[in-house]
Amino acid sequence: MKSNLNLKTHDGAIDQILASEEQLIPTSGFLAATMERVREEAACPKPIPFPWLRALPGIVVGVAVLGWCGFELVRVVLSNAHEISLAQVHVTGANWSALEPAGWVAAALAVSLLSWLFARRLAGRTGLL
Amino acid sequence: MHATMSAEEDLADVKRVLAGEAQAFEGVVRRWQGPLVNMAWRYCRDRGRAEEMAQEAFLRAWRGLAGWRRESSFSTWLFALAANVFRSELQRFPAVNVPLEDAAEPAGPATQLEGLARKQSDDAVRRAVLALPHRYREPVVLYYFHEMDVASASRTMGLPEGTVKARLARGREMLRKRFPQLSEERTPLLGSSLGPEKEVMQ
Repeated sequence: MKSNLNLKTHDGAIDQILASEEQLIPTSGFLAATMERVREEAACPKPIPFPWLRALPGIVVGVAVLGWCGFELVRVVLSNAHEISLAQVHVTGANWSALEPAGWVAAALAVSLLSWLFARRLAGRTGLL
Repeated sequence: MHATMSAEEDLADVKRVLAGEAQAFEGVVRRWQGPLVNMAWRYCRDRGRAEEMAQEAFLRAWRGLAGWRRESSFSTWLFALAANVFRSELQRFPAVNVPLEDAAEPAGPATQLEGLARKQSDDAVRRAVLALPHRYREPVVLYYFHEMDVASASRTMGLPEGTVKARLARGREMLRKRFPQLSEERTPLLGSSLGPEKEVMQ
């Protein structure tokens, strides 16, 4: 540590105090304890990496199917666009009853998402993630 | 102290570890245990916790050794990694500290034993650093840990030097306001080292 500091100023006094701190010497067991943990880690089998190479064909096929579905959907909507008018869009009571389960499913999904986010936040705070 | 550490030895040990020789990491721990424990101590001022945090930093270094790209020195990489570990550890479990305005008053010169009074006074100032807001605390801690070298502190924090200088100046300003009596108590020593100090004050 630098000990010859300029103490003519107040900062000099603070510098002197903060820079002249005594050096701690690690306890005698520190090195051994650290190496013990390192050896434990070294002895553990490495985590199995995600098999990207094997999964790649599946991913490619999935993306292709999704893309094709999207393309078909857009094509069908565009081809029928002239036949669709807002006047035709009316929801009857029967339609509503058909939609009701879907609403519950959406609500359940939303609650699941919220609880997952909450759990993740808690786990993050406690260092589990 | 840090500058004299052997970069070649670090490099050789890292190569051996990466080649599968875990025991070679002992050389790294042996050389850097002192600096890392002292650095952790400045973050928390709790000896037991400092060793735990330093041990955690070594473990992270062990796990991420392949991530050292050798663009910077091993010590720069290790200190930056350790600072991240200490920062996140203290976010999870903050060090027990008091607000700056409640930090203990340094003992006055009238205290019976002048040496003891000086030590108590110095400890009060050092503990007050932990009471600084986080953004000012870390630059102060690292600046003095790196023997008043702004460049090293900024590399460890991963921030531009200008930012570190500004935060350092603000942190010291807060300490100056908290301990106005320090300048009256201290007697000037002969000699000065105005290198990085001068740089910061500008």
